[in-house]
Parts: sequence; structure tokens; C-alpha cells
Amino acid sequence: MNGILLVAIPLLGAFLLPIVYRRHNQIGIWSTPAILILNLCIALLLWYRVTTEGPQSIAMGGFPAPLGIIFYVDKLALLFAIAVILGTLILWFGNEKGRIKEETLILLIVGGSCGLALSGDLFNIYVFYEIVAVASYGLAASRGTGAGYAASIRFLILSALGSSLLLFGIALIYAVTGTLNLAHLAYLAPQMLNSSIGLVAFALMLIGLGVKAELFPVNTWVPEVYTTAPVRVSALLGGIISKLALLIVVRLLVLMYADTNAHLLLLSLGILGVLTGELAALRATELRQVLAYSSIGQLGLVAIAFAIPGPAGIIAGVAIALHHILVKPALFMLAEAWGGQHLSRLAGVAKVSLLSSILFLVLALSLIGIPPLPGFWAKFLLLKGALEVTANVGWYQMAITVVLVATVIETAYFLRIARLMFQASQPQQPINIPHKRELLPAFSLVALLMLSVLTVGPISRSLTAVATDAADRKAYINNTLPTEWQVLKKVEVSPRI
Amino acid sequence: MTETAWIYIFLYCGAIGLILLGIFAMVMYRNLIRIIFGLMLLEAGVNLFLITVGFRPNAVAPILVDGQMPALAMVDPIPQALVLTAIVIGVGVQALALALIVKTYQAYGTLDTKKLARQIAEESGTRVIDGIPISLPVPVPSNYQIEEKKSK
Repeated sequence: MNGILLVAIPLLGAFLLPIVYRRHNQIGIWSTPAILILNLCIALLLWYRVTTEGPQSIAMGGFPAPLGIIFYVDKLALLFAIAVILGTLILWFGNEKGRIKEETLILLIVGGSCGLALSGDLFNIYVFYEIVAVASYGLAASRGTGAGYAASIRFLILSALGSSLLLFGIALIYAVTGTLNLAHLAYLAPQMLNSSIGLVAFALMLIGLGVKAELFPVNTWVPEVYTTAPVRVSALLGGIISKLALLIVVRLLVLMYADTNAHLLLLSLGILGVLTGELAALRATELRQVLAYSSIGQLGLVAIAFAIPGPAGIIAGVAIALHHILVKPALFMLAEAWGGQHLSRLAGVAKVSLLSSILFLVLALSLIGIPPLPGFWAKFLLLKGALEVTANVGWYQMAITVVLVATVIETAYFLRIARLMFQASQPQQPINIPHKRELLPAFSLVALLMLSVLTVGPISRSLTAVATDAADRKAYINNTLPTEWQVLKKVEVSPRI
Repeated sequence: MTETAWIYIFLYCGAIGLILLGIFAMVMYRNLIRIIFGLMLLEAGVNLFLITVGFRPNAVAPILVDGQMPALAMVDPIPQALVLTAIVIGVGVQALALALIVKTYQAYGTLDTKKLARQIAEESGTRVIDGIPISLPVPVPSNYQIEEKKSK
């Protein structure tokens, strides 16, 4: 049982799926969930192995670390891989069956994101990032309307710009250090990347990864794509895939930029993202747009959390990210029937469909952070982590203020919608009840959310274990890099930069 | 200044110049086709930068003949492998972009990004004033209205 299977099985499935569909329609329909369940089982087995034996590194083709490409399987990567696979599986049940092209692209995205989470090589990360990006351009246009194509091309332009900048950043790092292996880079970083060139490379990679992670200056595609794409695609991109990019950012921060001021860059982009996202959501007049802007705000929160140095930041970031992975897809699934027109259409929904309105209210309250719901604990961990920071206190105090102000704004726009739903005596315009097919994923996600309310203790203990593992740079180096490479060689005298 | 130093300066300036030119074209032009040309320039610049990183003056290709090391220095093969991958990815993305542009043109009859943004915004119920999408205010049923309806 090997981590490579997590990437290989969905990729193989994506290529074989159209052929299977041509041969036998019924087998084709059920092969996507079968592949996802198989992948989930492998991921859970790997999780068990990692818990008992500690993190593992897999050398591709048998070449050991700095020369060969490696996969590093640790709890943090596996957690995100499991979240992606499970989320995709739950969303599949909300799908219309038999959409071959969409399912192929979704399998590609799953394979790409598992690779992104596990990869321990910078250029490999770039390749997997491009696989995910190209599949998501196709998914963004999959509704087949003119607006979908236009939104997709604008998304493609921004994302391709970002990918090029990411590659430029990687090239700069290779020029300075002469290696692409994350463990080797982690070993060399204190001597070689603690300079302005290293910070420039980080800024370039941050902007490049930020396109997927909906970071502040490069998130203009978000409202367009999420309002024009099918909701399950919006749920997948905004709810699940966007966190993977931030996972890479936190890996870079922990391994290569732990001693520098790079995290302040991530912090300021996060603060700006939270402010702009929440303020835009306050003014948006369509449910899917509200959800898109609020997703920008939530990812800003994750960025702020990951910018807190040490395990406290990783705990908070992972908690907020996982919470958002549960809540946002569920909200998007509810928006399938209600989106598309002005918010005022939602007046009196509670009279028509009480169950879905209550689901919406619970999800919205959790996103705001009302105490018994998990959203509260996520925000609490963020504030606790930010208060314990010792260096650059002013920056983090500003972040705390912004998070609290953003919570107030969030409350304003979500409760305004809830009030519209529950207060009007009867609907003024005819409104659709969400289809059972869409309610099922929303309901199962809410069930998971409620389950996490009951098990806050064990979850927080395992999150702490995940974060301490992930923040341990020494362990990453020792697990991956053979000892003969852990002797600092004399810097090559060569006419590099 | 030796001769090799000039080669490096020339190559790096070329790479940075192409990158800046590409970003400039992508930001300043409003025509989608021109933006894609900007993207091509940007990718070419990044690729040239990578190749330059692996370049060694007076070196030979990194190929072992009969298992023997060549007497001269060898260029770094890793950036060449990376650039090969990057070129392939770039071409794929450009082809996809052109296909999407064709579809967009069929739907809207324009390639101007500003006009496209305005049309998309209007479809999704947002007003556009001076190129800035502005949302309409959200009406909330006041308590007064609701009580009035109940009494009816």
C-alpha cells in the first residue's frame, strides 16, 4: 500500500472513464464513486500506518532524496487528501448521473490535489498545480453557457499568469540553491534563502498559489466563476480545492521561511482578503455571489491563521480550513435552487421548505462562529494563537481586530438573509424547493458538522498531533534526506545569480 | 568584464524583459487574443530564465558517451528537463485558452474584456457604472409591512 496509488488510481480512472462509458453505461456511472471509495480506503490505511510508524517518504523510481522526486506522507498532507476525496465523494451524490466529461475532470482534480498534498519536490508541485488548474478551467465552463465560457477564460488568464509567476519563483530558488527537493531546501534555507532574493521568490510563489487560494489581489475570478459554474463545481473549487494551495504555502513557510519575515506577507494578504471579501459580500445581491465573497473572506482567515508561526498557527489554520470544507459546499448545494436571482426572492422560504431553511441557518451560524458550533472553536483557536505571538505583536493585534470586525459584518449579511427567509409571512414570488439530490450532500455535511460538535475533545487532540508533526522541520529533513547530504557543502563557485 | 559575464547579463536582461513585456501586455490590453500573446511572452521569458540558470559557458551537453565523462564542463540538465515540461504545459493551456476564446466570441460577439465583464455582470443582476460593478441594495421586509399583511 503506497502513497503513489492515491495519485495513480484517479488519474488512470480519469483516462479510462470515457472508454468504460462507451462499453457499458451502468458500470461507467458507478465507477467514479468506486474509485473514490477505493482511494479513501487507501488514504485511511495510510493514515493508520502514519499514526503507528510515523511519517514516511516514498522515493520515485528508487532514487533517494535530493536527486530523485519524493512523496512525503505525513498527517497534514493525508488529512487534506482525505478531505478532498471525502468531499468529492459526498458531492458526487448531488450530481446528475452520467455526465462523463465532468466526472473525468473531477477525477483529474482529485488525482492532482492528492499529488499536490503529498509531493516533496517544488517542480512536481508546479506540475500537479497545473493539472488541478487545467481541470478546473474545464469544470468552470462545464455548464456550457456563454457566461460560463467567458468566466472560464478570464479565470484561465489570471491563473496562467499566476502559474508563470510560480514557475519564476521556483526558478529563482533553483538559481540560488541548486535544488528543488523540499527537504534539501529546508536544510539549506537558513544559509541561502534568508535574503532578499529568497523573499522575492516567496512573494512570487505566494501570488502564483494565491490564484487558487483566493488570496487578495488575484481573486477577481471568484465571483464570476462561482455564479456561472454549476453549484457542485463551485462547491468543489471554493470549498475544497482552494485549501490545497494554502497547504503548499504553509509547507513552504514552515520548511523554508521559518526564520524570516515571510509570514508577515501572508498575514497582510490575509487581512486584506478578509476585509474586502466580507465587505463585498455585504453588498452582493445574489446568494451565490454572497457565498463566493464570503469564501474569499474565510480563506483570508485561513491565511491569517497559517501566518502565525509555530504549531498554534497550523492548528488554527487546519481547523478553519476543515470547518470551511464542511460548511461551504453544503451552502452551495442549497444555493442551487435559490441562486440565480435577487436575494429578495428568498423572502418566506421557510414557509415553503422548512428543513432546508433550518439547514441554511445552522450552516450560517457556524460560519459566523456561534459557540456550540465548530465554527466558534475554529475562530477561537485563531484568536488564541494570534494572542500568544511574541514577535511583531502589532501586526497580529491588527489581524485580531480585523477578524472580529469581519465577524460582525458576516453576522450582518447572513442574518439579513435568514431574516428574509423566516420573517415574511408568505413568499411573494414562487420559489423552488431544493431537489432531494442536492439536499442529500448538504444534509450529510451538516451531519458531519454535528458529529464534530460532539467530539470536540478528540478532534482537538488529533489536530494538535497533526500540527506538531507538521511544524517539525528537523523531522521532515531527517525522514527524507540521507545523512550524507546533511553536511553543508562548500557553496559552488559558479556564475549563478 | 569577461566575455562570459556579458553573455549572462544579456540572457538575464532578455528573460526579465520578456517577463515584464508579457505582464504589461496581459494587464494593459483588453483584447483577449492580445492577452494570450502576452501570456506566451511571459512563459517564454520564464523558460529563458530557467535555461539561463542551467547555462555554463564553453560546456557540452550532459550526455555520457561509452560511460566516459567528457573533458569539458557540462551544462546543468535539470533546468532543460523542467523547461521541456513547462513548454508542453504552456502549449496545452494556450490551446485551451484559444478554444475558450472561440466559444466566448460565438456567445457574445466581442473579445473586449471590459464589454464581456459588463455583459456578464448584467446577466447576474449587477449594475455596471463607469466599469465598476455595483450591486443593488438588498430590500428587507420591515416589521411594519409584515404586520400590515398579517392584519389583512
